[in-house]
Amino acid sequence: MNENAQAVFNRPQLFGEAVTHYCPGCAHGIIHRMVAEVLEELGIEGRTVGIAPVGCAVLIYNYIQTDFIEALHGRAPAFATGLKRVSPDLIVFTYQGDGDLASIGTNEIIHAANRGEKFTTIFVNNAIYGMTGGQMAPTTMPGQITATSPHGRNVKECGYPIRIAELLSSLRTPAYIERVAVYNPQNIVRAKRAIRKAFQYQIEGRCFSLVEVLSTCPTNWGMTPQESLKWQETTMLPYYPLGCFKTPEGEVKE
Amino acid sequence: MNQVTFPVLDKRVIIFAGAYGSGKTEVAVNYAAGLAATCSEPVSIIDLDVINPYFRSREAALSLEAQGVRVISPHGEMCHADLPIILPEIRGEIERSEGKVVLDVGGDNVGARVLSSLADSFGRGYEFLIVLNARRPFTSTVTGSLKMIHDIEISSRLKFTGIISNTHLIDETTTETVEEGYRLACAVSTEAGLPVKFVSAVGEAAKRLDPETIGVPVFTLKRQLLKPWEEKDRAARSSKNKGGLVLCRV
Amino acid sequence: MSRILMKGNEAIAEAAIRAGAVYYFAYPITPQSEVGEYMSRRLPEVGGVFVQAESEVAVGNMLMGAVASGKRAFTSSSSPGISLMQEAISTMAAARLPVVLINIMRGGPGIGGILPSQADYFQSTKGGGHGDYRVLVLAPSTLQESVDLTMLAFHLADKYCNPTMVVADGMIGQMMEPVQFPEDYKEEPLPPKDWATTGCRGRAPRIIKSLFLDPAMLETNNVMLAEKYKLMKQNEVRFEAYKINPQNRILLVAYGTMARICQTVIDELAEENISIGLLRPITLFPFPGKEIFAEAVKPNIKAVLTVEMSMGQMVEDVEAAVQGRKPVEFYGRTGGIVPTPEEVRDYILKILAKKTPAVKSWKG
Repeated sequence: MNENAQAVFNRPQLFGEAVTHYCPGCAHGIIHRMVAEVLEELGIEGRTVGIAPVGCAVLIYNYIQTDFIEALHGRAPAFATGLKRVSPDLIVFTYQGDGDLASIGTNEIIHAANRGEKFTTIFVNNAIYGMTGGQMAPTTMPGQITATSPHGRNVKECGYPIRIAELLSSLRTPAYIERVAVYNPQNIVRAKRAIRKAFQYQIEGRCFSLVEVLSTCPTNWGMTPQESLKWQETTMLPYYPLGCFKTPEGEVKE
Repeated sequence: MNQVTFPVLDKRVIIFAGAYGSGKTEVAVNYAAGLAATCSEPVSIIDLDVINPYFRSREAALSLEAQGVRVISPHGEMCHADLPIILPEIRGEIERSEGKVVLDVGGDNVGARVLSSLADSFGRGYEFLIVLNARRPFTSTVTGSLKMIHDIEISSRLKFTGIISNTHLIDETTTETVEEGYRLACAVSTEAGLPVKFVSAVGEAAKRLDPETIGVPVFTLKRQLLKPWEEKDRAARSSKNKGGLVLCRV
Repeated sequence: MSRILMKGNEAIAEAAIRAGAVYYFAYPITPQSEVGEYMSRRLPEVGGVFVQAESEVAVGNMLMGAVASGKRAFTSSSSPGISLMQEAISTMAAARLPVVLINIMRGGPGIGGILPSQADYFQSTKGGGHGDYRVLVLAPSTLQESVDLTMLAFHLADKYCNPTMVVADGMIGQMMEPVQFPEDYKEEPLPPKDWATTGCRGRAPRIIKSLFLDPAMLETNNVMLAEKYKLMKQNEVRFEAYKINPQNRILLVAYGTMARICQTVIDELAEENISIGLLRPITLFPFPGKEIFAEAVKPNIKAVLTVEMSMGQMVEDVEAAVQGRKPVEFYGRTGGIVPTPEEVRDYILKILAKKTPAVKSWKG
């Protein structure tokens, strides 16, 4: 190798050598990487404990090399509450999918946010249950075909998709809540900025922080990776608007 | 009941409040029975404990009724409920013009809060007595007792009129325990500007108290609220748990 | 320190603080709400944390998060609330998390009632949640013992890295007795918490988990847990023998409040020269089965009588312990009714009056 050559793109050190189990075109890899980069850049990886969900990301502890606790389905915010309350110097984050956070775990996330627990949640919304085989999620789009909505999500029976960022923003307790997407590089840059901000607020002990990341599931959506990025942009974005929904007191929404 | 030492209080409405476990219920139940034995007027006791699930004055109802005390507490299955039940007749009983009425209130400021909802019924005058037990964790010091008095007065919206010194350790109570408690009650009395109305103690400990040391009447208690294994009266034991299915293999 | 008068729930709460457990997560339920009320008052004084959770489901999971960083944390609840925590308790066992849980039992099933009960014996000693696991279960019968066993529970939880439960019926939670707290509480040395997730600076990352995708690894984990339960059975069986002697004609087996009632009956019958002994299990798991067997087979013993505030739960373990060598009888009341000494006494006299004791399984 040319000794003048400079590395312009490296694997984050926090990523071990493990090869992820994620399908081609799945955005979990991108989101994991952003989290790892932010932890490294902020220099907090040595005092961070992640809370893994039940869902496709359950094995996140094999990829991001920090301490981890594997939570029960939907209960990551309760684990995080317990850990952060007794060890406030730790940096604690939960990484949860939409079945985990928006269905079985709604009670835990709403109350953790409402108590203003000072941890960070990375909420990955891909509008479907990935792990269990492509069933309908609370975030599944109207008319979207899944294993348990073979004729498309019927909003008369199942209601409309839950918008978690908006729902949590209605709470009075200060928080940082932003929704981002990862379908193109510009949005990935914005997403990483939001994740960084979320951890920054935690370091400062300011507030609960949650970043909802719109993601993809080419396997269960039945699309190529390219098509799934397009679908995220054209179908999900109009229903799930991007942007900052809530900032702690004294901060201005960008 | 020793009529000589029974400390009759003039007011018609007598309210016992205090910290959890100060022995309010035991004092209230004994006091109501003592009133029934000494006064010619009708006597009733109101179980206003809306926070404790067990060991409430309603559990002594049978024995009290036999002694001529009317017991006002939730009826039937409701007597076992942990719901805050305020019977409509309570207000009427407090506002009546004749007879004596004893109120047994739940513990701490939390238990005394219920008095607030009845605040407009106490116009005709009342005794509001703080029952103190120096062997309870939050009232073992003057500061702790004063805080308890303050907190209960705030939540009940009533002002205390006196102190009952009821320091005890149930069956480990000795004369020294009672005397030690009386000293604390006197110190609290000075600080709070409230008179010690009487000292209450169970039989043996009360008997040996020196009247020279205790400058106020001593009220002898007979324990009414026994644990199931403490009941020595076999007839009373037999009458409990009547009805219902008995599970055994014989 | 002198003796002070405490309510069972308060005594347990203070004992936990004295054992260094200043992190408490709970949801109110009768008849144990005083624990939370006491904690909300005391914990700020000792630099602890009290979180009133949104549900018992959240409580179980908050506890796992709390103990994961190596701190002592606990909860208290009553029967229906403990049911809601079962998924978490199963996970604590699988992930070896030393959580202490207090169950002040009330009448069930369902919402049941708020009066005392011992009907959660199966739930606490046989697992309660899914999968192969055991919880250490301690059952006090006095308030002093509630203090001592609560403090011990934290030690045993840390020693075995296992969820540990203190079960007491509502009577013990609600009644008052004088207690004394140890002056200088010292514990036997404990293994270092080299599994705690405290941030991985300067060491390899630690992972606390219960998912094993490879069946061989899951089996290995279960076998290792079983080895631990075997150790508990060897080392931690605790019981009290009350007036047990060769003249005993009936061996009583009872715990908690029922043991207190049995003691009253034994004392009274002794005055009538009827000799009865009581073996009171203090640990419900591990169960003192061998000790019960040893007493039951003594020649003068006509029958073993188990007395419970349930439809008959511990009696199954007594039956297994006695191995059909003597008749095993059962007397119980349920729904919140506490058997009186009179009922137990009458039942004992009935057994003694029976002509020929049939040796058979009680189910048969």
